[in-house]
Amino acid sequence: MEDLAFLPRWPLAANQMLWVGVLLVAGIAGGEAVQRLLRLPRITGYAAAGIVLGPGGLALIDRPLLDELTVFADLALGLVLFELGQRLDLAWLRRSPMLMLMGVVEALGAGLLVFFTLSYHFGQDPLVAAVAAAIAMSTSPAVLIRIATDLQAEGQVTERALLLTAINGIVAFLAVTVLIPWLHLEYRGGWETMILHPLYLLAGSLVLAAAAAHVTLKLAQLVGKRAGLQFIAVIAMIVLTVGAAVALKLSVLLALLAMGVMVRNADRQRHFIVVDSGDAGQLFYVILFVITGARLDLALITAAGAAGLALVLVRFAGKALGVLAFAPLVGLKFRQAGLLALALMPMSGLAVVLVHETASLYPEIRASVAPVVLAAVVILELFGPIATQFALQRAGEAAAERA
Amino acid sequence: MTAAGKGGAMLEFKTSEPLTLGVELELQLVNTRDYNLTRGASDLLAAVAKAKYPGEIKPEITESMIEVCTSVCGSYAQVRAELDEIRKVIADAAAKLNLGVAGGGTHPFQKWSERRIYDTPRFRRVSELYGYLAKQFTVFGQHIHVGVRSGDEAVRLTHALARYMPHFIALSASSPFSLGADTQFDSSRLNVVNSFPLAGCMPFVRDWEEFGGYFGEMRGLGIVESMKDFYWDIRPKPEYGTIEIRVCDTPLTVARAAQLAGYAQALAAELRDDRTWSPHPGLYLVYSYNRFQACRFGFGATVVDPATREHVPLGDEIVATLTRCLPRAERLGAAEALTELLKTAVGRANDARMLREVLEKHGALADVVRAACEAWTRP
Repeated sequence: MEDLAFLPRWPLAANQMLWVGVLLVAGIAGGEAVQRLLRLPRITGYAAAGIVLGPGGLALIDRPLLDELTVFADLALGLVLFELGQRLDLAWLRRSPMLMLMGVVEALGAGLLVFFTLSYHFGQDPLVAAVAAAIAMSTSPAVLIRIATDLQAEGQVTERALLLTAINGIVAFLAVTVLIPWLHLEYRGGWETMILHPLYLLAGSLVLAAAAAHVTLKLAQLVGKRAGLQFIAVIAMIVLTVGAAVALKLSVLLALLAMGVMVRNADRQRHFIVVDSGDAGQLFYVILFVITGARLDLALITAAGAAGLALVLVRFAGKALGVLAFAPLVGLKFRQAGLLALALMPMSGLAVVLVHETASLYPEIRASVAPVVLAAVVILELFGPIATQFALQRAGEAAAERA
Repeated sequence: MTAAGKGGAMLEFKTSEPLTLGVELELQLVNTRDYNLTRGASDLLAAVAKAKYPGEIKPEITESMIEVCTSVCGSYAQVRAELDEIRKVIADAAAKLNLGVAGGGTHPFQKWSERRIYDTPRFRRVSELYGYLAKQFTVFGQHIHVGVRSGDEAVRLTHALARYMPHFIALSASSPFSLGADTQFDSSRLNVVNSFPLAGCMPFVRDWEEFGGYFGEMRGLGIVESMKDFYWDIRPKPEYGTIEIRVCDTPLTVARAAQLAGYAQALAAELRDDRTWSPHPGLYLVYSYNRFQACRFGFGATVVDPATREHVPLGDEIVATLTRCLPRAERLGAAEALTELLKTAVGRANDARMLREVLEKHGALADVVRAACEAWTRP
């Protein structure tokens, strides 16, 4: 038998690449199956494939491996956040300040209702409830961008949904950052950390974003107005910035989002042409959704399902109230506003990142807040994309029949 | 003969106040991110629904397009003022919706296959009949109506103006780019219009009765239902009592659109009162050639004068004609329009040239659309 030493040993010594490949292929197959058989958005299928293969399902992918794969998900999320940042047109917000206010109010509305429900009705610790509420403010940018792109949706509901997603992502980040000092008080104390840590996160991430945006624009100028080359330059800068944010213990979320905003809005000479992430970019979305799915734990549904569902419902109510209240002020019909609120339902990537970012600093959170929020994420990971697809189609803004 | 009689009776020419003006402009709706055409007509129309403005703002065949028109105007000054009011209403609404609005005869890089038909029964029918032509027809033109006293006058003036269509093409040309490339035409838009079966010119009829006969026969053959089905460069418009000039690209500014109307008015007045001239079929021997020259080369075209058989530089001919019409324009209150057009013609600086200069300077067609949006929105 020694002659056959060139053959691999069983079980196979797996490498990362192999597992990423398995996840991708399973994701693509799941996406197609869900889209054709159930007429649901593909991304729901990607996430479902992740759930099935992940530790909560068949456990083909275990937790240590999943942690190793996080780098791929971070990269994909970096691209999504950058793309979302580019959608935040500051000139539009200057012209329509009410729109900005609408974003802040719908985020706060969702946050407050979630906070009261969790702390009074479910008797959660107020601080825990507050962190959960802050996280619940954000809408999943990946779902919104993917569904809008796949449906080729264009129009006021789509544009505003993307804009509000950027705004509520920022509000959520700020709220979490504001809550961090209280966590310090609760768990560790020390006033230096209490003041310095949020400050470091905020200022550091913004400085990193500014530097990255500056270099991106210089690169864009260097390669000229050629879409292919600018796309590569952008991907390179995203990889670099995500890596730098992780290394510097800054917020990947804020850094990448702010970088996107700055590249779009600080480009006075118009060196940067808008780069469509296109077919190659889709791959990142598959990775992101499959890994997010694999991270989800269906067992949470039984453990914290009721609280999770309550969170989903009151979060929607809060967002809907905020959006409807401002509808007349921003020139939306009530029907459009209702659909807009529905489109803002998805909550996945960002919430998971925020939970993990916070929990990595304060492991105590992992046991208390994480299950409730993550139970809500499980529910919305599956139903959020459906809500968004429904909303954009009903608004008459979709060109394609299904996402 | 019965068909002719019937057609004539049905085509009653409504008289209108002579030399009154009306302008229609088809406008592009783009997003402000990558400046591609976008789905915005229904949202924009809803946003201007409560605003007060003269004339009309209407949907067009695709969601990326709207049409505006003035009311019946007595003078160039009124056209200018009305267009400016409409411009302001649209610019305000577009700013709120974060839409870009632009003139220009074509969108430089849109793909026609991505266009969506605006949902009305008529547009759906047109789309079904013409197939991809309907979507390719996402081009943007200016139509100028000039009031005439009778159908006979409309026919005579339609023939008389035919010779001057290259002027309007060169002065309005603003569609050098199409499908992402420089077409080398100043107006590539008219090439798209050519593919329609009923494009071209009115046939050589001598008066309104003869025209009625022609129309009746076409109707009898089941080819047309109404005057709307003729996509001619100039056509009589019996229900308005006007003749309609349709060769112009939508200019980049409303100011230029008003000036073109001023020129049409003065020129129509000159030709109407020139009793020494009478229509002859030879006119149309040179028509297509001259039209092509003007589309391709703009002011740099060489056109053939059907009367003298001379080859003349179009730019020079335009300058000469504008100068000849200037005294008449002064009496009609349109002197400003002609002086501005003279400057343009002397400088050979039409919108197509301006758009090419933007591309030269900035390097991307998205920059060209952005510049067009700024030009149209600016007061």
